[in-house]
Amino acid sequence: MRNRIFGGIGVLFVLPMLLLTGCWDSVELNRRAIVSGVAIDRGDSEAERYKLSFQVIVAEEISGEKSRGISPVALYTGTGRTMFEALADASRQTARFLSLGHVRVLVISEKFARAGIKDLLDVLERESDTRLNSLIFISKGQPAREIMSTMTVFSKIPANDLVEKLETTSKQFGYNFRMAVDDVIRGIQIRGGGPVINGVFTRGEWTPASGSNDSLKSIEPRSILRVSSLAAFKDDKLKGWLTGDAALGTVLLHNRIKEFPVLLKQQEGGYFSFNIYQSQVSLAVESSDPEHPVFTVKITQQAALKEAPHPLDLTSPKVLEELSDRLIKESVKHIQAAVSTAKELGSDYLGFGRALQRKDPRGWKKVRDHWEDVFADCEIRFDADVVIRHTDMRSNSFQIH
Amino acid sequence: MKSGSNRKAQNAGADSAPRPGQPQGSVPLGLADTVAQSLLHIQTELGGSPDLQIRRIQIGGERRLEAAAVHLSGLADPAAVNEFVLGSLLNHTEELFLDRTDGGADSRGEEASLPQQILSRAMETGEALLQEEWKEIMLAILSGDTAILLEGCRAAILCGTRGGEQRAVSEPTSQLVVRGPKDGFVESVATNIALIRRRIKSAKLHLEVLKLGSETHTHVAMMYMKGIAGEDLIREARDRLNKIALNEILESGYIEELIQDKSFTPFPTIYNTERPDVAAGNLLEGRVVIIVDGTPFVLILPAVFTQFFQSAEDYSQRFDIAILMRLVRYLSFLVLILGPSVYLALTTYHYEMIPTTLLINLLSQRENVPFPAFVELLLMETAFEILREAGVRMPRAIGQTVSVVGALILGTAVVEAGIITPIMVIVVALTGIASFALPAYNMAIAGRIIRFAFLIMASIFGFYGITLGLILLVAHMSSLRSFGVPYLFPFVPLSIKGHKDTLFRMPLWLNGADKPPAQMREEMPDYMLLTTGHEEQLPPLIRKNCRTEEENREE
Repeated sequence: MRNRIFGGIGVLFVLPMLLLTGCWDSVELNRRAIVSGVAIDRGDSEAERYKLSFQVIVAEEISGEKSRGISPVALYTGTGRTMFEALADASRQTARFLSLGHVRVLVISEKFARAGIKDLLDVLERESDTRLNSLIFISKGQPAREIMSTMTVFSKIPANDLVEKLETTSKQFGYNFRMAVDDVIRGIQIRGGGPVINGVFTRGEWTPASGSNDSLKSIEPRSILRVSSLAAFKDDKLKGWLTGDAALGTVLLHNRIKEFPVLLKQQEGGYFSFNIYQSQVSLAVESSDPEHPVFTVKITQQAALKEAPHPLDLTSPKVLEELSDRLIKESVKHIQAAVSTAKELGSDYLGFGRALQRKDPRGWKKVRDHWEDVFADCEIRFDADVVIRHTDMRSNSFQIH
Repeated sequence: MKSGSNRKAQNAGADSAPRPGQPQGSVPLGLADTVAQSLLHIQTELGGSPDLQIRRIQIGGERRLEAAAVHLSGLADPAAVNEFVLGSLLNHTEELFLDRTDGGADSRGEEASLPQQILSRAMETGEALLQEEWKEIMLAILSGDTAILLEGCRAAILCGTRGGEQRAVSEPTSQLVVRGPKDGFVESVATNIALIRRRIKSAKLHLEVLKLGSETHTHVAMMYMKGIAGEDLIREARDRLNKIALNEILESGYIEELIQDKSFTPFPTIYNTERPDVAAGNLLEGRVVIIVDGTPFVLILPAVFTQFFQSAEDYSQRFDIAILMRLVRYLSFLVLILGPSVYLALTTYHYEMIPTTLLINLLSQRENVPFPAFVELLLMETAFEILREAGVRMPRAIGQTVSVVGALILGTAVVEAGIITPIMVIVVALTGIASFALPAYNMAIAGRIIRFAFLIMASIFGFYGITLGLILLVAHMSSLRSFGVPYLFPFVPLSIKGHKDTLFRMPLWLNGADKPPAQMREEMPDYMLLTTGHEEQLPPLIRKNCRTEEENREE
């Protein structure tokens, strides 16, 4: 009984302590400014080392009944010598707490990327509010701020539009793929290599008017966000841009592509076109001498014939075999383009070093400090196999009769 | 009567205290030698109540012995009184007196055995006995029996003529089923016992009847299956019932409150039902059923947590359907206790967990709402509780209106007025509906109470608080016992065999129907068997009675 009384008194003491501490960390939703995207630029002076632009969602304009017809997002820019200072600077301009929990897109300017993104990634990983699965883009040849202040057609929030664009291109014939903060951090840690990050730019001239609804009023918007090119890094610094075959080969080596078109030129004129819908690329290493490893790139692909301009007899296995031989050459060409570009840039972002490390960890220890040199003149062999699975809805064209 | 000494003292006190209508300082009331005197005493005791029916007759043909039959109108069955009591007195007593005059034996012995002779030779009622105790006679009259008084005899013949108006067996109003028996318990303990006996035609079904309540003398029947229910459980239930000392028992809730293991818990540890099939099923599983006169709700004990999620229908429907329905019930309990608090934690602490598109919607809804989310939730939950309370108390004819006005009109108006966000109405309505999905009403109430505790925890600490609350809740539930059975059995302690009818209802052939529960009981490890000795946690009243009993014994 006595214990019970003491217990009761104890509860009476503890309860006010709980209640009087109040609700720390508790923020009502209408006190928050949700940031959908962040642009990171480098200014000219030291005080503008970090120039952060926050794309803040104005929820009422998007789904509220009492919208005022203003822009659905607002951009606040803060500058500082560190990320934190820049964030504080931007916060002072907003009426609400800048909340980074829903940042879906981070755009880093090319200028910033060429100088190194190491410190930035450390902040992104350390900060509890930001997410590791926000997508990273490098703005190609223009300030990142411009990307974040371009009005888009399909989503009222430009950051969301960018995410959706990436998802669409990665599914349909594009060599861009999801690259989030944690992927980049993992990529940076590859010795002798670096990450590959998607590029983004505005097609058409960017003017301040691109950030207003007026830009969308014509059928053809004046500036459109375009996800294209891959930024190749050496460690944390941007080295160059990959496009065309080099980019395709890079993504093939990462096994991150779903399907892509391949064209074969016909001697009679015109092109055969194929859809490669399954592609598996693996690296085999022979490292009897770690200083001179021999890599074998094994490619297995499945293709579907999409266009046949000439009435070939597609029911004949011989014809199809000839075509697949030519497809094999194409695939090898892609990879070769990727490898030679990587060698030119002096960065092993393709993952050859990692393959060696897995196969021969001891040998890797010997060469890892000068891996760039070893990679530059290592031998690469190919073992490719492309099968044409089907010719879609028809076998022979009606033209054959 | 096996009552505690305390109760006897109370009764004595009640008898000796002067009451209005009783002549002060007169001789104590009791049976007198003359019928007229006895009748006067009865009338005095009942305060001259007009529903006391006295029929004065003369029996024995030539001898003309004064007699009287006394009963309370309304309680006694008039047909039985007229035909069997008065009829047999007037028609068959003549022979007795003829025999007596013929015999001419020792008149004193004959005199004493006259009531005995009437009882054994004249009475046509099935239930009759000779009683000398004044208190018992009064109790019998108050229960609807007829008392026959004879001139010169200090005993009364009590004839069982209980009857009067009763509610017919009808469909239960709570615990409805789509498929299953449609009969329900009624207020009469005899009918209720019959309803159970009709389902279990087994000699093992034992019945014990007690009278509880020093003023109400309520019949309380305890039923169990001998050999299936544990002996220690039966003993413990009997002991606790006997320790009850209360003036009035008007509903089984009175008894539940007094015999449950722990008073300070929102969780019910004794199951109650209005359905005879549920009572029968539980009897066969080795539980004890307590039926209280005057209420259709019988008590079933011991009861564990999972039992409150079982519905009678689970066993009438196919097992796959039953599994689905039962999972829905557990889910709705979770929604009930956690729904509002999770919403609160999400919006005020963990906004990053809400999908962006939904967050934008929530943001725009909250834009012009004046209150913080916690206040908003409390307002809405309180409003809902008021609506529910109003709906229950309303006459049936306008009950519908209350729900329509409350749910539709108030909900819409409150959103349009900008006091509450629409999503809040969804959250509150969902928890409200979830509380109705539980088959046991008292468990739903427990959930409603706990919900508010979680709401406060979530408003102070967010998900951290909810987790703390869950830990506390599980700790509390683990500490509960129902007549010695751990409340969370078969989860704590874990029993795989015990899981055949908890989260899922396994098909009957898996349920071990071929094996009598007593055998299954033997297979159980010791620590799962019933344990008693939780008197520490018994309600204060019973504890107090235990103590006085012990003290008396020491004296």
